[in-house]
Amino acid sequence: MRLLGAGLAIGLGALGPGIGIGILGYGAMQALGRNPEARGAILTNMMIAIAFTEAIAIYALIVAIILAIL
Amino acid sequence: MGLKSKVAIAVLVVFLLIVIGGLFFPVPQPEVHLSANYGGPSPEPFYKLGPIYITNTFIAAWLSIIVLIGFFFFATRKMKLVPKGLQNLAEYIIEMMLNFVEGVTSKENGRKFFPIVATIFLYVLMNAWMGLLPFFNVIGTFHTGTSDTLLQTLAHTIFPALSPSLGQYSGPIIDVPLFRPANTDINLPLMLALVSFFSVEYWGITSLSLRHYLGRFLRFQQLLQGLKQLVRGKIKPALSAILFGILDVFVGVLESLAEFVRILSFTFRLFGNMTAGEILLLMIAFLSPWMIGVIFYGLEAFLGFVQAFIFAVLTLVFATMAVTPHESEH
Repeated sequence: MRLLGAGLAIGLGALGPGIGIGILGYGAMQALGRNPEARGAILTNMMIAIAFTEAIAIYALIVAIILAIL
Repeated sequence: MGLKSKVAIAVLVVFLLIVIGGLFFPVPQPEVHLSANYGGPSPEPFYKLGPIYITNTFIAAWLSIIVLIGFFFFATRKMKLVPKGLQNLAEYIIEMMLNFVEGVTSKENGRKFFPIVATIFLYVLMNAWMGLLPFFNVIGTFHTGTSDTLLQTLAHTIFPALSPSLGQYSGPIIDVPLFRPANTDINLPLMLALVSFFSVEYWGITSLSLRHYLGRFLRFQQLLQGLKQLVRGKIKPALSAILFGILDVFVGVLESLAEFVRILSFTFRLFGNMTAGEILLLMIAFLSPWMIGVIFYGLEAFLGFVQAFIFAVLTLVFATMAVTPHESEH
């Protein structure tokens, strides 16, 4: 039951950030297609935004690890 | 030879690598520790320097500090106007980072933020990349024992005629490694996050005035104005001003909360990513001991760079936000 909880925690927790990173990548690609000269700025900003999104998945991951090994 | 047969051969090679490597050269099931370990028998910590516990992440952290200091020490001996060798490499790294930092913020702000941002970047990067070296997680105290592996169970279920010990690991199993990647200890990301937080606040307070800087978090102006109007007897504008004033106070509370949540988010982002990478590498080595892990080593090298970059760039962006006067106080 605890392992099930761990699996659910990371599985459900990765769902939202996955969608979020997908949307971010979509936006970045579109921006890149429209304005290829702004590559550096787009890349940096995309990285920062992805970092914010990914942090949520990381929280879920830590909860999952703690559930699984404690 | 067509493309299809090439793909088929590649798949076959990978399959053989997994099966032969897994069955005849098994790897023990990894033990996952979230906290750093002391050396020696567990009740009585072995490495202890006065009140300080010398954990394995502590050793790794100091190792990367020594490597960084050594590199820049030897690079800056006998400096020449036309750089050569080590000095050239060091200058290239520093110049690239300085250009990037100055590109994100302004020129003089870039000069001010550069030392801390660059140090965070290099330190996190060095910790992440050093953790991929082969002596990490390998040297340490061990006990001899056996460990079941996944392929062993699979092979025994599919072919019951096989001897049950085929694919079972027997030999030394590491209990406490002497080296462990420093980023996988939550104290190091927490320390870096605190350094980043306090330097951002320091830069914010010194470049704006203290009153100006705190004005972002303590937003009572509009509320006080509304109360003043209420005292003067202008009921209608006073009510709307008070309403928006309360909203403004709430925004300030949220802003200051967001400021502190950064510490938490910085810490867990780095710690979680690095720990997850570490566990991924261990698990891949356990599942298929031959060759496949190399791909994931490449992935981890890239992720280490990305995490170092993100930590440094977020510090830079927060610092830039802190030194920029905000729009509510024209």
